[in-house]
Amino acid sequence: MMSGKAESEWLNVRGIEVETLRRGAGRKILVLHGFQTIDREARFLDLLARHGEVIAPSNPGFGSSPRPKDFDTVYDLVHLHLDLIDALPADKVTLIGFSFGGWIAAEVAAACSHRLDKLVLVSPLGIKISDRETPDILDVFNRSPEEVRRRSWHDPDRFAPDFDAMADEALVVYARNREALCLYAWHPYMYNPQLSRWLPRINVPVLLLWGEGDGIVTPDYGRAYSGLIPGSRFELIERAGHYPEIEQPEAFVERVYRFLEE
Amino acid sequence: MQAWYHCENVYPFVPQEVLDRAESVRASLPNKYCDPKISADLFEECLDEHLLCDGLGVNVVSIEHHSGINSLYGASPMILGILARQTKKVRILSLGTLITVRPDPVRVAEEYATADVISRGRLEIGFVKSGDSEMVSGNANPIGYVDRFWEAIDLIQKTLTSHDGPFSWEGKHYTHRHVNIWPPVYQRPHPPMWAATGDPETSAELGRRGMINALVLRGPEASKRAFDAYRDARREAGLPAPGTDRFAYAALAYVGDTDEEGVRVGSKLLWFLNTSLKQSPQMSKLLPGRSPPEVTAQNYRSQPKPGAARRPADSLIGITAEQAIARGILCAGNPDTVYKQIMDIYDKVGGFAHFIFIGRSGFLDHQEAEKGIRLMAKEVLPRLPAAMQTPAAQPARAAE
Repeated sequence: MMSGKAESEWLNVRGIEVETLRRGAGRKILVLHGFQTIDREARFLDLLARHGEVIAPSNPGFGSSPRPKDFDTVYDLVHLHLDLIDALPADKVTLIGFSFGGWIAAEVAAACSHRLDKLVLVSPLGIKISDRETPDILDVFNRSPEEVRRRSWHDPDRFAPDFDAMADEALVVYARNREALCLYAWHPYMYNPQLSRWLPRINVPVLLLWGEGDGIVTPDYGRAYSGLIPGSRFELIERAGHYPEIEQPEAFVERVYRFLEE
Repeated sequence: MQAWYHCENVYPFVPQEVLDRAESVRASLPNKYCDPKISADLFEECLDEHLLCDGLGVNVVSIEHHSGINSLYGASPMILGILARQTKKVRILSLGTLITVRPDPVRVAEEYATADVISRGRLEIGFVKSGDSEMVSGNANPIGYVDRFWEAIDLIQKTLTSHDGPFSWEGKHYTHRHVNIWPPVYQRPHPPMWAATGDPETSAELGRRGMINALVLRGPEASKRAFDAYRDARREAGLPAPGTDRFAYAALAYVGDTDEEGVRVGSKLLWFLNTSLKQSPQMSKLLPGRSPPEVTAQNYRSQPKPGAARRPADSLIGITAEQAIARGILCAGNPDTVYKQIMDIYDKVGGFAHFIFIGRSGFLDHQEAEKGIRLMAKEVLPRLPAAMQTPAAQPARAAE
């Protein structure tokens, strides 16, 4: 059902059209994007596709995926992906979630570990760790663009998006992704107060990867996250911020590959 | 014509170097820069100006803005309560509670009904969509705020017109299972409803609903576009053509004894545009939700391409008195001049029955404001044309 060089195609999940990048062949690796949809030119995609078939959907409202009427909560996203997993022709799926998508992946895994073989969470959001007056996650809407840029990347000058150089079409996707993220995650900001309670339900091997210079959400948050998932492993990736898959694609895929081969 | 005095109760006393350094003068400027003793004086002065209006037959407007130098009126219903008791004759317009940032419209309806009762039926209820930094300070999701706006209005209207025991509301944005406010509204079926908005789509819906459409600091061209959309929507819906009583025009305005005085003092009102509109990009042009991504995307560029969405306010920052007068944002001069300026706008937009004048802002002080109010009331207002009523408009009447 897919070619080795597949580009974006459309999945129909219970009547919802989902733009999806597909690449590679073999074990099914479902990848859930973070604040922004995954760039089809991203190096890590090709590297990851050497180890399986990467399936990377754009959540409704993100990328080119339309958002159905009244589809506007994380609850909807979680159930969409539960449905999508059910529709994949494989007993088990490997799930990788980045940032906001890590939150969704954790929710999905807590709900249906039995359909997963492994779970990789990359700087996932979704839970509340610190006290009520200490936000865990940088407010990417309320804080200045300069601060968000600086705290997102180990090397912002090299990796942060250059809006002046972006094509109009890419810029619209960027703005669309921001809008969808705002809809789903404005309040409570980027977490589900109930999720921590249910994380122990995840009973597949879990790897948490964190950029050591992540200023959106710190490695300490990741360690606490890991502590809530029995048997999970926490690893840092050097010279990376909130997007280790972009700043260190080789190191990132190497860690993932090693974990998948265990 | 009805004249409405509008004062935002601004706080201009923050040192300029602090304002220059701040990324935004709203939402994030620390409140240590706001002296509560000076604030108390400002409230007293502004409320006294409203009492002066009461004696002169000038209606009054209660507004609401949050967390910034542009207004100390953070809760319109609270100010309404004071005005309802302390004024005796004029009508009181709330323009308005920021309904899209309030979690429970029923509570707002309750507050409005109370103010309507205290004033013995002198309340008019205006809605504003809000946006930008107020979504941030109000902790309200900027996505979907237009839908919330309409559902909140529907729920408030239903709340104000229901008198036979509790009803239940399970809407998209609001749920309230047991709605039955006490006291009910004084005016029946409910106080006149307004909305301040400038986009033609919203004006069209206001037309279908028969609500009064106020255009605030938008100038004659944009106002005419909105009013035309209002008229067109009514015609297409088979409703009677609106009279001027459905339209309100708001501008900065100051009447002096001479043109020189009117312009000199009136120019101080431009502080509102030139100083109090400064907002950080993440709380304004980069905040999602106001316009579609296709329109807002260009705002990420350091030099947006032509055609990029601009907030109406952006074009007002840095404006001079001459420009503001030419654009119908400011009316200033002696009574004759101001009368002509208002009538020029009146003719350009096709008429309005409500002139809202923002008569105090920035460093324009209390004495100056009171002089401007007196001259507006005595020398200009009597010359303005009478309202033309909309045929199907339901006049408010007192509860029996």
